[in-house]
Amino acid sequence: MPLFKKLFDWLEVRIGVRELAEKELTSYLLPRTINVWYSMGSILLAIFALQVVTGILLMVYYVPDADKAFKSVTAIMNEVPFGWLIRLCHAVGSNMMVLILLFHMFSVLFMGSYKSPRELNWLSGFILLNLVLGISLTGYLLPWSQLSFWATTVATNSVGAIPYVGGYLTEFLRGGKLVGPPTLGRFFALHVALLPLLIASVVAIHLFLLERIGVSSPPFGQENSANRWEGDRFRYEDHPGGIPFFPNYLLQDMTSIFVYLAFFFAVVFFAPSIFFPFDAFSPANPFQTPAHIKPEWYFLANYQTLKLFPNEFIGLMVQGVAMTFLAVLPFLDRGKERHPLKRPLFMLCAIGGIALYLALMIWGHYS
Amino acid sequence: MKTPHRLRANTGTVAPFLFILTLPFLTLPPLAGAQGESVCVQCHAAQSGRGAIPVKPWRESIHAANGISCSDCHGGDPKDAANAMNPAHGFLGAPQEVQIPSFCGRCHVGIKEDYLQSAHGRALGKGGPTCVTCHGSHEVKKAELELINEKSCSRCHSYDRAARIKAAMQETEGMIVAADRKIHGFRKLGIETDAYEKGLYSTRNRYHRLFHDVDTARIVAESARIRGEVARLNGSLGVIDEALRKRKLAGGAAVGLALLAGIGCYLLKKTYD
Repeated sequence: MPLFKKLFDWLEVRIGVRELAEKELTSYLLPRTINVWYSMGSILLAIFALQVVTGILLMVYYVPDADKAFKSVTAIMNEVPFGWLIRLCHAVGSNMMVLILLFHMFSVLFMGSYKSPRELNWLSGFILLNLVLGISLTGYLLPWSQLSFWATTVATNSVGAIPYVGGYLTEFLRGGKLVGPPTLGRFFALHVALLPLLIASVVAIHLFLLERIGVSSPPFGQENSANRWEGDRFRYEDHPGGIPFFPNYLLQDMTSIFVYLAFFFAVVFFAPSIFFPFDAFSPANPFQTPAHIKPEWYFLANYQTLKLFPNEFIGLMVQGVAMTFLAVLPFLDRGKERHPLKRPLFMLCAIGGIALYLALMIWGHYS
Repeated sequence: MKTPHRLRANTGTVAPFLFILTLPFLTLPPLAGAQGESVCVQCHAAQSGRGAIPVKPWRESIHAANGISCSDCHGGDPKDAANAMNPAHGFLGAPQEVQIPSFCGRCHVGIKEDYLQSAHGRALGKGGPTCVTCHGSHEVKKAELELINEKSCSRCHSYDRAARIKAAMQETEGMIVAADRKIHGFRKLGIETDAYEKGLYSTRNRYHRLFHDVDTARIVAESARIRGEVARLNGSLGVIDEALRKRKLAGGAAVGLALLAGIGCYLLKKTYD
């Protein structure tokens, strides 16, 4: 303990750790009515950290070469000590990251937390969603299995539907006319270097905005649930009389993270195959298209939407418009009210949108 | 009142940027739709008369499941509609009854030999059954014991002998199917099963060749040998089963510990609340 105290004192006189801890932990007050949905962001941070750690461990044995990639993944699953656990954690974790990210977005939507002055929080979150989908898509190719090869072939094909530049874009993404070794190199670089860096940077921006603007109050349990932001000047939204982040809400975060981990381990140890179709364990064969190949669950709605339109470009445009609408929602929804039950039009659109998304996903799965 | 206007103006700038930003991640594909079918299937499926008949049964057949398409049996060019049925491009058409064993035997070489040596094969062209009598022509069924049944066999002769053969093979069939299912399950977990699959494939082929023999004594003896091989394979699979059981135990402990830690944090939080 004296050593710890000495180290603490050494830091205290140099960077004022006591004041920093007080400001960021014990004096950082959150609304008394804060609920469990506010811990989704912390779960996402834990997942991202786990993905980085398991990703680095996988890189020790993975070989990003079209001739060796599948064999190296098979070796990780069968020969490397605990390789199966690391790979399953990484693969299941990527699905969980998308799932929890969607929960996080839905909770922000329903509690109206995207409203002014938090447009930038929403936008950075929206960009994170796209980056997470991007990192999932690029990671999908790396095992160089039948599933990954053909899913990437058709995914990159669809870019060709964009008028004028589609052909060039497809070739740029693939590094050639067809999906092949250059595609694997590109996707590997994107997956392990560029996208994680971008995600970490946007997460930093997201957290900075949260810290700078302050945590929003949930619209529940208060008489006036309208947005109190006046818009005349910058104001930090503080919560006098609120609960401290440490230890109170940190313990809530830890509770949520452990409950998540229990669910996560249950999938990893007892039902990992829900995320692995049979073709995920056959080596890529450019000469044999597997039957019934489907994208991952989070792309099924997009997949089904494209099938609904006779022209692929129209399908892309419709999805682009929907995503753009979601991105600029805080700029379009200018109402002050935040309680979902006092926003019937919003509720109708949100529940309708989620129901449509789920319906398309289920339809895509069974089509 | 100025702020909303400013923000509305920003929307116009931000929207196209975001659209472009999100476009690459929206390009998700009609994967199944992109998978090309041969011109044979495309053309025959579009027909309304006799020509359309083979398509549906073929789609449900073991051939379709294993990627064996029209041209693999009938020849022709499956990518060029104009030459799909051109003899110059290898189109063979449908075989005559006596040609059927040779037609199928191009791939199923051993089975053709067994068949030709059996009472069934010796009766070829004299009212005896050919491959398609039991297996169907386009609806080709997986060679399973269920193909031997009273309804099918008694079309030509009494079922007694066939029933004795079926009884002798029943246990072997069950063991092979169970081992196959187990290997399939392991593969879905990412376990390398190539060696087991190849081993079982070879054993299964030997077993399937028995179907075309009508020598009861030989079938009984060979079935016993095959059961021994499958039992040895099951021994190796048992080692994997044991490893998986240990994994699940560890998994149960991990889930339990995470839940306990969660409950602990929750209770501690409650004390602070």
